Amino acid sequence: MSKTRLGVALAAAVGLWSAVAGAQDTVKFASIIELSGNGAAIGTNWRDAVDMAVEEINAAGGILGKKIEIEHLDTQSNPGTSRAVLQKALDGDPYVVLGPIFSSSTRVNMALTERAGVPQIVGSEAASITQQGHPTIFRTSFGQEMGMPKLVNYLKNEIKAKKVALIWTNDEWGKGGRNTAKDLMAKAGIEVVADVSTEVQQVDFSAEVLKVVKAGADAIFAYCLEEESARFLNELRKQGYNGPLVGETTLISQKVIDLAGANANGARGHVGLTIDAPVDLLQEFGRKFEARTGRKSDHNGIKGYIAVYLAKEATERMGKFDRDGFAKALRGAVVTTKDEPGVLMDLRIDETGDVDRESFLVEVVDGKQQVVKVLPPVGDWKK
Amino acid sequence: MGTMRWIAGGIFLALLVLLPRELKPYGIFLMSNWVLFCVVAMGLNLTLGYAGQISIAQAGFLGVGAYTTAILTTRFGWDFWLTLPVATGLSFLLGLIVGFPALRVQHHYLAFVTLGFNILIYLVFRNEDWLTGGAFGIFDIPRPGFLGVDMRDPLSFYYLCLVFAALMFAAAWWIVRSPWGRAFAALRENPVRAASLGVDIRTYTLLAFAIGSAFAGLTGAFYASLLEFIDPYPFALEYSLSFLLMVISGGSATLIGPIVGAGMVLLLPEWLRFAKDYYLLIYALLVMVLMAFCPEGMVGLWRRMVAAIGRRRARAPTERPT
Repeated sequence: MSKTRLGVALAAAVGLWSAVAGAQDTVKFASIIELSGNGAAIGTNWRDAVDMAVEEINAAGGILGKKIEIEHLDTQSNPGTSRAVLQKALDGDPYVVLGPIFSSSTRVNMALTERAGVPQIVGSEAASITQQGHPTIFRTSFGQEMGMPKLVNYLKNEIKAKKVALIWTNDEWGKGGRNTAKDLMAKAGIEVVADVSTEVQQVDFSAEVLKVVKAGADAIFAYCLEEESARFLNELRKQGYNGPLVGETTLISQKVIDLAGANANGARGHVGLTIDAPVDLLQEFGRKFEARTGRKSDHNGIKGYIAVYLAKEATERMGKFDRDGFAKALRGAVVTTKDEPGVLMDLRIDETGDVDRESFLVEVVDGKQQVVKVLPPVGDWKK
Repeated sequence: MGTMRWIAGGIFLALLVLLPRELKPYGIFLMSNWVLFCVVAMGLNLTLGYAGQISIAQAGFLGVGAYTTAILTTRFGWDFWLTLPVATGLSFLLGLIVGFPALRVQHHYLAFVTLGFNILIYLVFRNEDWLTGGAFGIFDIPRPGFLGVDMRDPLSFYYLCLVFAALMFAAAWWIVRSPWGRAFAALRENPVRAASLGVDIRTYTLLAFAIGSAFAGLTGAFYASLLEFIDPYPFALEYSLSFLLMVISGGSATLIGPIVGAGMVLLLPEWLRFAKDYYLLIYALLVMVLMAFCPEGMVGLWRRMVAAIGRRRARAPTERPT
């Protein structure tokens, strides 16, 4: 009996030791992401790309010898739930938090990472996120304040539009983008002849499309979420509109092309990240993602992939896992693909956590994004 | 049975007090959210369960209270406690207004009237930027001060929410046992007979709405303080349906029902997260099975079990071999 007890005690001790040793060999990443609700389509791309990056890094020996342990927590596309699950993630003491994508969720939960001093790399694009003074927040894509000026320049100089009809999703992201674009258009001398808001998860766009088509605009600027953009495009083509149609990121994203099919053809706009860009690393990422998941990645997948590698780069620059030093290592830093190929394109992170890099003007042709022009970064750091 | 109820109540209360001490902030946040949603569901239970007036606007009333406190504290620098009567009064008044259509229409027609009100109030929250911040919401809502205790500590704030919920439970208990509660029940069972017995149908119908709304509005003040941020989305129609589900799945017209129902709607999906991609699917299936086989909710299921055990015990002596 005593031998049995001794055996059990030894087994328990060995088990405990190996658990402790195992914990020391891993570093915990938490991903707070939209896996159900109306953000499920984009969140799933993020999750799969994050998993892909984690597997690649772990297969190559991890970060500073530690394997990444990733946990995805579903926000249900609900800001309140995102806050609750982020708290759950923080209770597990993660090294870094990745996500979410929905700006409304990020605005609700970012205070928690600020208080906890945990770096957070988000996929959100609302301008307000990096304007709150959060010391450890980062983006992997353009914020609206970076993307919109490029789009308005395109409307003014390439399309030569003097009158524009705006249609946008009435949530924090959509309204933020609309406000930024409207201000920039006013400065550029472009008149907004229709300003039409739409609902999240709206199905019928007939009345809204009628308004923007009949407004007598030189171009329509659509800034809706992915699924809504696809429904808008279907209705727009149904009503026979074939004039200039531009968007920023979502309208010409792969997800919208998949959903709208031929109706997306002819849509143009500015996009920060696309697997169809003339950049070898982006195209290679696109091929790997498609081979792994059986579908093409949109920009949200690319954001998630870069987020993991950005955390790796920050840690390797410090030579240690240090949450306090994380922001110092990245803010104001230029990260090139020679430093870390996983960032896919050379980029610079500014003092607020915003990212700057080259971007693309694209047109959807035969159901594919075709890059029309490569735009330089906003700053002159590449020189 | 009465003693057993008191003992069970005591154990439950002790659990509510002691359990969060062992939880991490996430668990405490969920518990705080749960006790607050219990009060919102209790209010709806008074309107729907006891008075029989269907309302799909409870999230809207929660929003009225939450926005009132958020605006008064962040823009005008009011103390949290001073905002409570305003939040309660405003939601009580709006409840009265929503109650008027109930004097003319009932059942699903009434449901659509209240549904319309919820959409209206949501649109006000979202589109009136000058007042509510629109889609951007309101930030940095302060936690209340209370006897010098730092309410930014999750556990302290939980205990404040718990005390509030306990007081509201006592209020609901008193209302149900008062002549008001009996008038509500009469209204639900047979309004014509109630009127013939001297119950003022008009007053009690309006009161049923107003009191239920005031429960939600008052809770809204605490909810805004819990989140420290509000935007229009938690007050949309789908959340009113969630409150309806809390009352129905817990057991309407029972005091315990909304507490059980709120636990089921709020906590069950969190417990099921271990099932990863399938957790919401499993949750939906569980709700469907419960509603299909026990439309009286969890409390009804419990009562059925107790009755079955009672019957078996009563039969047992005759089944013994002689």
